[in-house]
Amino acid sequence: MLGKLAPRRISAIYLLGLFILLFGLLSPDTFLTEVTFTLIFRSGVVTCILALAFLVPLTAGVYDLSIGAVMALSLGLVVYLSLHTGLSTPVTAVIAVAACGVAGAVSGFIVVKLHVDSFIATLGVSQVLTGAVLLLSNNTQLIGQFPDYWSNLGTGDFLGLPRVVYMLVLLALVLWYLLEFTAIGRYLLATGGNREAARLAGVPTERVLWSVFVASGMIAGIAGVIFSMQSAVFSSSIGPGYLFPAVAAVFLGASQLSQRPNVWGTLIAYFALAFGIQGLALSTASASVWSQPVFQGVSLIIAVAVASRPMMRKLRASNAATESVD
Amino acid sequence: MTTSQAVADSVDATGPMLTVRGLSKTFGSAMALNGVDFDLRAGEIHALIGQNGCGKSTLIKILAGFHQPDPGADIRLAGDEVDLARTADSHDAGFRFVHQDLGLVNTLNTVENLMLGRQLTTARGGRIRWDAERRDAERRMDDLGYQFDVLRPVGELGAAERTGVAIARALWDWQTARVLVVDEPTASLPREEVAILFAALERVRRAGLGVIYVSHRLDEIFSIGDRVTVLKDGQRVGTWNVADIDQDDLVRSMIGGEKLRPSHDRTARAGNEVALGVSGLCGTVVDNVDLEARRGEVIGIAGLTGSGREEILPLIFGAASRSGEVRLNGRPVPAHPRGAMRAGLALVPADRRGHGAVLAMTLRENCSLTDLRPFSTRLGYLSRARENREADAWIARLDVRPARADAIFALMSGGNQQKVVLAKWLRRRPAVLLLDEPSQGVDVGAKAAIHALAREVAQDGATVVIASSDDAELCDTCDRVLVMRDGRIVAEVDGARLTTEELGRLQLGMATRGATGT
Repeated sequence: MLGKLAPRRISAIYLLGLFILLFGLLSPDTFLTEVTFTLIFRSGVVTCILALAFLVPLTAGVYDLSIGAVMALSLGLVVYLSLHTGLSTPVTAVIAVAACGVAGAVSGFIVVKLHVDSFIATLGVSQVLTGAVLLLSNNTQLIGQFPDYWSNLGTGDFLGLPRVVYMLVLLALVLWYLLEFTAIGRYLLATGGNREAARLAGVPTERVLWSVFVASGMIAGIAGVIFSMQSAVFSSSIGPGYLFPAVAAVFLGASQLSQRPNVWGTLIAYFALAFGIQGLALSTASASVWSQPVFQGVSLIIAVAVASRPMMRKLRASNAATESVD
Repeated sequence: MTTSQAVADSVDATGPMLTVRGLSKTFGSAMALNGVDFDLRAGEIHALIGQNGCGKSTLIKILAGFHQPDPGADIRLAGDEVDLARTADSHDAGFRFVHQDLGLVNTLNTVENLMLGRQLTTARGGRIRWDAERRDAERRMDDLGYQFDVLRPVGELGAAERTGVAIARALWDWQTARVLVVDEPTASLPREEVAILFAALERVRRAGLGVIYVSHRLDEIFSIGDRVTVLKDGQRVGTWNVADIDQDDLVRSMIGGEKLRPSHDRTARAGNEVALGVSGLCGTVVDNVDLEARRGEVIGIAGLTGSGREEILPLIFGAASRSGEVRLNGRPVPAHPRGAMRAGLALVPADRRGHGAVLAMTLRENCSLTDLRPFSTRLGYLSRARENREADAWIARLDVRPARADAIFALMSGGNQQKVVLAKWLRRRPAVLLLDEPSQGVDVGAKAAIHALAREVAQDGATVVIASSDDAELCDTCDRVLVMRDGRIVAEVDGARLTTEELGRLQLGMATRGATGT
């Protein structure tokens, strides 16, 4: 039991505690308030869902850098359809998520069939989607017209917590179950660990790669739909900025719990970072402007550097052992 | 050992440039080299041959300063003792190496490859004098007898040309180089390109360097070598003038004195029904191969590197793209791994770490991966208890250490890794088990266990096919062995004829006493 609480496994939780303590002492009046906590949770949901969208393909060993642009597409579609069609909002949400799934399938096609590296493929798709969204919005700010219940979903509370937090938890539970406890998860993990070995063991690796891109597109689409519940305003600058915090959370989260990218580690990591950023912003007058990118950049590098050390050392040792056999 | 040994020692002495005396090297408890003497004259091409594991790579690595010899060895260059403590010492002493993988950067051109790893004399401001460098590269390639565009990426050149670039780079500083060691340069070379390489080596020799030439292809030694030294089990069998020895003697000295291994019980052969049928199989090297294997039979595939031996099992399993037909019990087997698995085939690949398993996953996860259905419960939930039960059963049966289902695969020893890979396939109860180099990098105990297991699987009615570069392994385990050369099956050996000596001959393409190949 003590092993499970070892700092190495859940360092982000200790970090989270440290931030709350530190900034609670530094600025008790502003930091330790319900407002701060609600703000962080409410605004964190969209980024967390995007992080989960990044996590799924990463488990299978590929990057999806288009998630920010896909989210913008989803948001743009929902807003656009609310202005130009008479469709009910839930229907437009389904259309948007489906469109995002198609965008993911395109990335999948490029990676699987055209053998383009996922990093390049999704970077390209991301740019094309940004263009499509600009076309849709004509590069103007659009304000969607949603029914009241829609924005209530995004801003209302249930049992003292924002409703969107429940949506995040539900999605996280589903992904956690799929990734950790089913054959699908095992296939993703094997494909990510060694694609050729997985293929030779009968894993349908091509189908796996297609599916993870479709899944990540649809999850990013859901992030866009939830965004529309929280704010009906769409502008073409939304999207790309969400990529980095999501990626940082996934990689920092990979150093937590099971020592591989995982759902709960990602969420813990995100909120540890978010509290740190918020605390810094509240305690120093000027920090609100610059603290977020600096904080995320530094923590990503530290997390990956720390996480890669023990495994690298072990691998090097075992490599040396097999070398000397020769 | 034989009369020809005497010839070796009476070879006239023009004062060897390199002398090695009493060279030994132990790794742990294994003795890779045991008191080896070797010498090399200036202007000589000296072939160094022997079977896999005979110690020739260790000898080369010691000359390169990569391994340290055991105390008591004496290595002299032109009479002066040299200390090869580091690779830099070896270079300073005048040793130059062309390794089998050449170590070229394929995307760079010849000029750039020749510049790697040396101090450039640049123009002012660190500017590279490209024109001068290009002319220099052209001249150097010309000196070796090559004429090709030095501005083309090396990856687009022919294999012989690439080897030439590697030689030119190794001999960048001609003036200080004294010994060139070429390690199996022709293993990947089509025969018609070998001549080009030989012409280049001939020029190196004429420039007064000593060349140590390591090769598996005996016929080459007779067309290029001056002398030949044979190593066996870490000891020198002898050194001969090439003119004084023929291929037969050479083969006998390589595999010779080895006593015939007691064969396993070959009476337990099952019926005559053909299980696995392959016809017209073609790959990159493999050329129109037919073979048949019966139920309950263990068949072997022998062949030198480059003969197609290393390609044939992945082709049968559909891991690499193929043409031709594979049938199991008369039904065609699809040409991709999933389909082959469903049909009842299993492949334990030669590259265990690259293809055999997912290194970062646990023993249990690797073992389960080949078939997850038995563990699935409602909602696709994989029952960890069932997985553990099956993994534990295999751990017990194959005596895997550490005996923990959650051990990380990458951190296990070679032999235990191989047992896990075997387990992941045996749990599917395959009708045909394909084993590619099953005991490579595996300790002696695990090797015996793997061989016993292969026999056992065959006795239970499966067909086992073993492709191996270890002839003794094939003789120990197989009912009959097919010998490959140049992509084709050239002979089949079984019964009393199945000896390492016979396999060695057939792989080298030599006529057999009394009997003939196919």
